[in-house]
Amino acid sequence: MNNASSSGRGGRSWPSTTSVSGSGKRIQKEMGELHLFPPADCSAGPIGDNLHHWIATIIGPPGTPYEGGIFFLDIRFPGDYPFKPPKVVFKTRIYHCNVDSSGTVNLDVLKDGWSPALTISKVLLAIRSIFLSPDPYNPQAPGIAHLYLVDKTKHDEIAAEWTLRFAR
Amino acid sequence: MFSPRFKSVAAMAGWDEEALVLASLVVEDTPERDFNANKRSDLNLKCSASNSRRKRRAQRRSMDSIPVVVLNLDDEEETAECRKGSEKKKKTDLTESPIDKSDATKMEGNEVAEQSSSASCSDSVLPSLERLREELSCAICLEICFEPSTTPCGHSFCKKCLRSAADKCGKRCPKCRQMISNGRSCTVNTVLWNTIQLLFPAEVEARKAALAQNSREAVSQSPEKLSQYDHNDVRVRRIRSTGMPRRGDTIQRTGIPRTGDGLRSTTDVARQDEDAALALRLQREEFMQVHREWNVGYRRSSSILSARANLRALASRAISLRNRSWPT
Repeated sequence: MNNASSSGRGGRSWPSTTSVSGSGKRIQKEMGELHLFPPADCSAGPIGDNLHHWIATIIGPPGTPYEGGIFFLDIRFPGDYPFKPPKVVFKTRIYHCNVDSSGTVNLDVLKDGWSPALTISKVLLAIRSIFLSPDPYNPQAPGIAHLYLVDKTKHDEIAAEWTLRFAR
Repeated sequence: MFSPRFKSVAAMAGWDEEALVLASLVVEDTPERDFNANKRSDLNLKCSASNSRRKRRAQRRSMDSIPVVVLNLDDEEETAECRKGSEKKKKTDLTESPIDKSDATKMEGNEVAEQSSSASCSDSVLPSLERLREELSCAICLEICFEPSTTPCGHSFCKKCLRSAADKCGKRCPKCRQMISNGRSCTVNTVLWNTIQLLFPAEVEARKAALAQNSREAVSQSPEKLSQYDHNDVRVRRIRSTGMPRRGDTIQRTGIPRTGDGLRSTTDVARQDEDAALALRLQREEFMQVHREWNVGYRRSSSILSARANLRALASRAISLRNRSWPT
């Protein structure tokens, strides 16, 4: 176990570790954890050399209109991470009442509900959970939320069509 | 501390030395009950509520490993051999079983059993340590807790981490969001801290070394103990490089980058006084430096002479500076 974890962390060539900030250290740790124990249907990693800029993917969970889609997310860690939440934005268009057309996610955990004990893998799981159960009462896209409450089958149809069109 | 016989039996039951030491810390005064204590703490560890998949996996493995070992308990000599083998295994960390050539003939028959048991012995070392590492690491920096501080709700974090969490994210426990009365006056949980130091001396040392290096760097960067002013570090350096700063000048210059900052602009007026004070202090330091240089040059001459010269130099310097600073 020990060996596996150390090789998991040391196996890849990170940018120089001699002088990383507190946030950089923590992000590196999270990277190692993610590498060893990736959350279900999710993956994430830094873009290039910048530790504070990641890209993540979430696979649409089966049984939902997002099934089979691959959704890309852009993650930016602030300099005082983990004391401030990461900024997570959908890069793939999605028909979801908690995500608006610019990709902004309405998730309490990414705003006031943030805690420094949360990790990016927990954030990804939280985002995956809104695929399974959208929250129309705290909508980011009120029109979609309305349709979800009024006519769920229609909503699911459109969502599935969008998934087919944008996420594959 | 433990008899070799006891150790070997314990090893057969999947107990490595660290686990034994840990258990004996709990019941140090009653050594004859050690083994029972081991079992109890083992049970506790296993029963502890764990949500993570990794923990469950580790537990499953340690449970698997125990029955394999118990099978070998009948042979006395073999247990000793096994112990030796497993120890070597721990040290060398090889996949091949390291068997002494002199012992090889003795063990031929039991080799297969021995290998499997030693493998499971060394295997059981890792999950328990891993579990401890996970249990004792700080949820904020994800490293082993350094000077852990425990919240009223019972969660422990590094003292530093907890303090910055309280400062930046409000006075709530990062784990359970219960109110923390005052994150500022957090105290170190000494029992936990001592335990951590005993269990992970390497990590603690590394952390201490890093801290020492950080502070050394800070000192070398600002030998005049200006670290408390690091928000205007750049300005300080600029002032120093231009030599004698003019008072009005500093304020003007420092005002420019601030207004762009937006957030800080409201505190500008309050900080201007601070800046002026800083500028004055820097001037004084410069004088002191000049004074020191004079001292070095005139060490040979009598003290009164040098003092007089210094005073004169200081005075003339002050006058020239005054002329430059406040042109009429």
